Amino acid sequence: MKNQGVVEHMRSPAFRFISSLLLVLALSQPVFARPAPDFTLPTAGADVNLQAYRGKVVYLDFWASWCIPCRNSFPWMNAMHQRHADQGLVVLAVNVDRDAQAVRHFLDKYPANFTVAYDPEGHIAELYHLKGMPTSYLIDRQGHIVMSHVGFRQGDAASLEQQIEQLLSQ
Amino acid sequence: MTKLALSALCCCLLLAGCNLQGVRPWERNVLAQKKMQLDPYPNDSYLDDHIYYSKESSSGGAGVGGGGCGCN
Amino acid sequence: MQLNNKSKPVRHSLTLATATLLGSVSAPGYGAASNDWEIDSSVLYYAEDGRVSAIEPVVRARKTIGDDEFLTFRLVVDSLTGSSANGAIATTAAQTFTKPSGDATYTTAANTTPLDPSFHDTRVAVNGEWEKPLQDNLKGIFGANLSKEYDYTSLGASATLAWDFNSRNTTFTTGLSLNLDTVKPVGGIPDGLTAMPTTTTFTKASVGDSDNKTVVDVLLGITQVIGRKTLMQFNYTYGQDDGYLTDPYKILSVVTDAGTATLAATPYLYEQRPDSRVRNAFYWKTVHQFEQDVVNFSYRYYWDDWGITSHTFDARYRYELGGGHYLMPHARYYLQDKADFYHYKLVDGDIPRYASADYRLGDLSTTTLGLKYGVELSENSEFSVRAEIMKQQSRGSGATFPDVDAMILQANYSFLF
Repeated sequence: MKNQGVVEHMRSPAFRFISSLLLVLALSQPVFARPAPDFTLPTAGADVNLQAYRGKVVYLDFWASWCIPCRNSFPWMNAMHQRHADQGLVVLAVNVDRDAQAVRHFLDKYPANFTVAYDPEGHIAELYHLKGMPTSYLIDRQGHIVMSHVGFRQGDAASLEQQIEQLLSQ
Repeated sequence: MTKLALSALCCCLLLAGCNLQGVRPWERNVLAQKKMQLDPYPNDSYLDDHIYYSKESSSGGAGVGGGGCGCN
Repeated sequence: MQLNNKSKPVRHSLTLATATLLGSVSAPGYGAASNDWEIDSSVLYYAEDGRVSAIEPVVRARKTIGDDEFLTFRLVVDSLTGSSANGAIATTAAQTFTKPSGDATYTTAANTTPLDPSFHDTRVAVNGEWEKPLQDNLKGIFGANLSKEYDYTSLGASATLAWDFNSRNTTFTTGLSLNLDTVKPVGGIPDGLTAMPTTTTFTKASVGDSDNKTVVDVLLGITQVIGRKTLMQFNYTYGQDDGYLTDPYKILSVVTDAGTATLAATPYLYEQRPDSRVRNAFYWKTVHQFEQDVVNFSYRYYWDDWGITSHTFDARYRYELGGGHYLMPHARYYLQDKADFYHYKLVDGDIPRYASADYRLGDLSTTTLGLKYGVELSENSEFSVRAEIMKQQSRGSGATFPDVDAMILQANYSFLF
């Protein structure tokens, strides 16, 4: 009976939100708003340049076709793009695969409505000193990295969105 | 026999010492493949362990964890 | 006791109730995640030349139940028939032995290795495992295992921790497992080194209906990424067995003099092994990929306080044929030095405290050669078959046990959904 009480408490949305927020904060590195290193990368269409997004909030995500948690992140990033693009959110997903066919196959299965850029040599991944896969960064309207996060977990999705909304309101 | 084992261990470590830093997180495409895991055919290894445990007098060895895509 | 896994070191403990209460895979509103079920089903056919054969279906199911959280369940049914060596030596005359029940006898022809034909056994084993992230870079694997056959029950639990360092290039693992076994042999536990009756008129001396055994195993390991295409693992395992470790169905022949095969007045004694065993193993494994092919090589050095030492070399080479097909030759070579109390036969008047003629404790080598073929039927399913031949031979000079030849056939079907 006691156990059931604890578990019921753990299932409450408030508790879950707070615990995942804490987890996200624990896993995120509080970088003291350093400027995001600039880069230009090819996409399926025209090249993208990070500095050109000044004035917008950028969710920068490094992913690969062989990264299993990345499959879960795509539907979420699509949702973020759909909900917040008109408020000034840019979702920029940088792919680090060396095998173009693997990328095409992944995108066929998990389509992206957001911008996908290609870094097959890993130069930009190196520039950002990625500590794991996937790694995502939240860049504010002034071009500073305010959050970096390694890994993607469904449980973090809600609090990540909260942080995005907070930046968009600035 | 212990000497043989110790020298085998030293060789392994020497080989390993070639690159103990490992690889960058974004360079794990090969390691992420199923055939590159420590136990890619779980039923095969379970059945083999069972056969040799019943037919010989040794046990122990393989463990879990490590390698793979290194994600999350 | 032939293909019966009497007491396999168990690794994983399951708290099923709690696990099912913990969330589901996909957060609402974002769409379903990828396949969360992984099923591996196999059937093994094992057959020794003129001895034991077994059919063993296995089903393993793994489900993703949360972020990096999995539940694995395995069910095995092991159905064994045939005969196996009882430990006695061949003599120039026919021999008669009593079956374990004591109610019947069986006879072995002259100049033939005695085999006990009594083994018909079905074993069922279930195993559950819960893998869960505990902290950033730390995960736990908890499991439980239950195995049951008519004369043997085994229950176990285990916990393993895996710690990642160095951008997940290095992983330290540590594990502990505990097994409690109960053996209840047909006819009771024989009093070690007392006579096996050769007719049903007499009953064997018995010390009880059943007895127990506890097994503790500890694992310490390091897995290290060496390069983009190379992975290595080094493990040390320590184990301790306490309790009834003897095989209740095995005997030794007693001869009048060393150098003869003339049986003594009391021709057969039940074996007796020590009641404790301390085991150690050092294990190294390498996985390396060439262009597309993968080689998998391992070496294990084992030693224990029964005097047994062994070397195990195992190599597999996955040769990609293209189009999702592969061939995988396999070679395994095992070299074992005998237990201190292993005796091919005993001499009347010179009976030691511990003795066993079970050839599996002797100086032996096992050579296995096999080939596996696999094919990806679709992106989510794979079929494979493997065939292997195994030969066990005694090493060393003098009168030794005959070779045991076996064949291994296995078919697998795996899929994701």
